Amino acid sequence: MIKFCVCIKQVPDVSAPVHTGRMVLNAYDASAVEEALVLTERYGGEIDLVLIGPASAAETIRKALAMGADRATHLVIGDDERPDSMAVAKMLADYLANKDYDVIATGKQAQDTDAGLTGSMLAERLGLPYASNAVGLAYEAETRQLVVTRQGDAGQEIIALPMPCLVTCSNDMNDPRIPTLKGIMGAKRKPIDTREVAVPAEGLPVTKVLAFEPVPEREPGQRLEGEPEEVARLLCKKLAEEARVL
Amino acid sequence: MAKILTCISIQDGKVRRSSLEVLTRCRQLAAAGGHTLEAAIVDADAAAHLDTVKAYGPQTIYTVSHPVFRRHLNTPVLAALTAVIEHARPDVVAFASTEAVKDVLGALAVRVGAAALPDVSSFELVDGGVEALRPVMAAKMLARTEARAPRVLVSVRSGSYTAEEAPAGAAVEAIPFTFDEASLRQTLREVVTAAGGAVDLSEARVVVAAGRGVKDEAGKQLVERLAGVLGAAIGASRAVVESGLFPATAQIGQTGKVVSPDLYVAVGISGAIQHVAGMQNSRVIVAINKDPDAPIFKYATYGIVGDLYKILPVLAEELERVKA
Ligand SMILES: Cc1cc2nc3c(=O)[nH]c(=O)nc-3n(C[C@H](O)[C@H](O)[C@H](O)COP(=O)(O)OP(=O)(O)OC[C@H]3O[C@@H](n4cnc5c(N)ncnc54)[C@H](O)[C@@H]3O)c2cc1C
Repeated sequence: MIKFCVCIKQVPDVSAPVHTGRMVLNAYDASAVEEALVLTERYGGEIDLVLIGPASAAETIRKALAMGADRATHLVIGDDERPDSMAVAKMLADYLANKDYDVIATGKQAQDTDAGLTGSMLAERLGLPYASNAVGLAYEAETRQLVVTRQGDAGQEIIALPMPCLVTCSNDMNDPRIPTLKGIMGAKRKPIDTREVAVPAEGLPVTKVLAFEPVPEREPGQRLEGEPEEVARLLCKKLAEEARVL
Repeated sequence: MAKILTCISIQDGKVRRSSLEVLTRCRQLAAAGGHTLEAAIVDADAAAHLDTVKAYGPQTIYTVSHPVFRRHLNTPVLAALTAVIEHARPDVVAFASTEAVKDVLGALAVRVGAAALPDVSSFELVDGGVEALRPVMAAKMLARTEARAPRVLVSVRSGSYTAEEAPAGAAVEAIPFTFDEASLRQTLREVVTAAGGAVDLSEARVVVAAGRGVKDEAGKQLVERLAGVLGAAIGASRAVVESGLFPATAQIGQTGKVVSPDLYVAVGISGAIQHVAGMQNSRVIVAINKDPDAPIFKYATYGIVGDLYKILPVLAEELERVKA
């Protein structure tokens, strides 16, 4: 039996052109949901979801419920609110403070901001041992430990955490399942506890996005054409004489 | 006047160039604004790195040495960084954005009551805080972000600045650190190190990266040969890491490493935005791909449309000839 709480976020689809405004379940969170499903299917247990976001984010909750999670809490904030990681972690910690989950899982970062702070901020607030950037999870029933394979700088670190604990997941650990029609229908009947929350306005250091700027464009490149030998010769010449990198 | 502290990253017993880049940036900011520059080394044998760090000009270097740092676990690292920050009381703490730093930055920010600006590509000190540019949306855009707080943590992408020596006679202060390993709630069972290349990817001057176009062992050998001739580190797209052909430590991109070499050769890589997020700041990009419409060609300085299995062997040969 493992009681999971997976923290999920709705993000813009970074693969789509910006103006389409298509919103998706953060891919790293989808991997966290998938991994929780695999472990609860094997060892028994339950998966709760929690999401902080505007009312419209409910569709993303349905998507994760359709994958197979049991129930969800939607902490609703205003449409124009952009809480930073510090504020999100505080709100999640307040919500999770007196709940007894064995494992709290988050994505290792959000696909849109790529900040990667919320998971460890939450662990610190809840006083839980944690591991970040997990690329594999296993459960050891005898010791009630979560065995996390995390991608470190030089290699993979295998870390055992006693429950309760927190883990942040990479999307390199699995391919999240696509909800089935049955899953999608079933998700409509699963409970979502919706409550309004206030973004903490004081007492936390704040970071703010002032503006978005385009990434400086690269100089247009050149195509080198011809037979392999010819192209190889041409490239070497250009790398040596034009680009001066050889 | 502010106090800037740079935390130095050590890997495989060596100071990482990326943290010397950050230290150099902090030194320039300190000089321009009349601020104080300090550095901290947390390592099993911190004193061994003093000479390297001194050459980059901090006024004081704090060391925290303990055998527990021989292997990475976030609990002791957090305790040590907290001890340094509480002792030194810096206004700004700067790090290189390594996996080890990503692992602790959020928790540390909460513990020391600081604002955090992670994975920035540039930063400035402004009145009452820090302003930084952060690549967001898989590096499709830059977010100009500010943190106005009494204490700000900032982690910087490798290659954002150039490391330049400016030796000064730094004072050295060892911070007393005791750590009861019995209090550790995590246990590190094992570190599986990939038999990777000799050159550290995120700091390499030349990178040859393989994508799904590299289909088999024979293709991998072609990539290795090219990397060998160029003295390059070997990178990979997520697709070939998943296929098991290349180790996960080689992955470049949004999820993997950020590289910024002088020369990046993309072999059989389509150029998905999540991959480009990790390599678009390379100075010269060569793309070899058989699909003339592959998005990677939008970023390539030199694009070659063709079969990598035909091009790599002759390219390696030609390079050997040129380099000889
Ligand atoms: C949240 C998230 C994070 C991600 N993070 C990363 C990341 O960090 N890094 C990363 O790389 N990806 C990442 N991805 C995956 C990314 O979207 C792409 O799926 C991946 O980069 C594709 O790898 P590829 O270019 O090798 O493969 P493909 O897209 O399959 O491209 C293969 C290319 O090889 C060419 N080719 C095939 N055969 C030959 C031949 N014989 N000669 C020459 N060319 C040939 C093809 O024309 C094609 O362009 C992430 C995805 C998500 C959703």
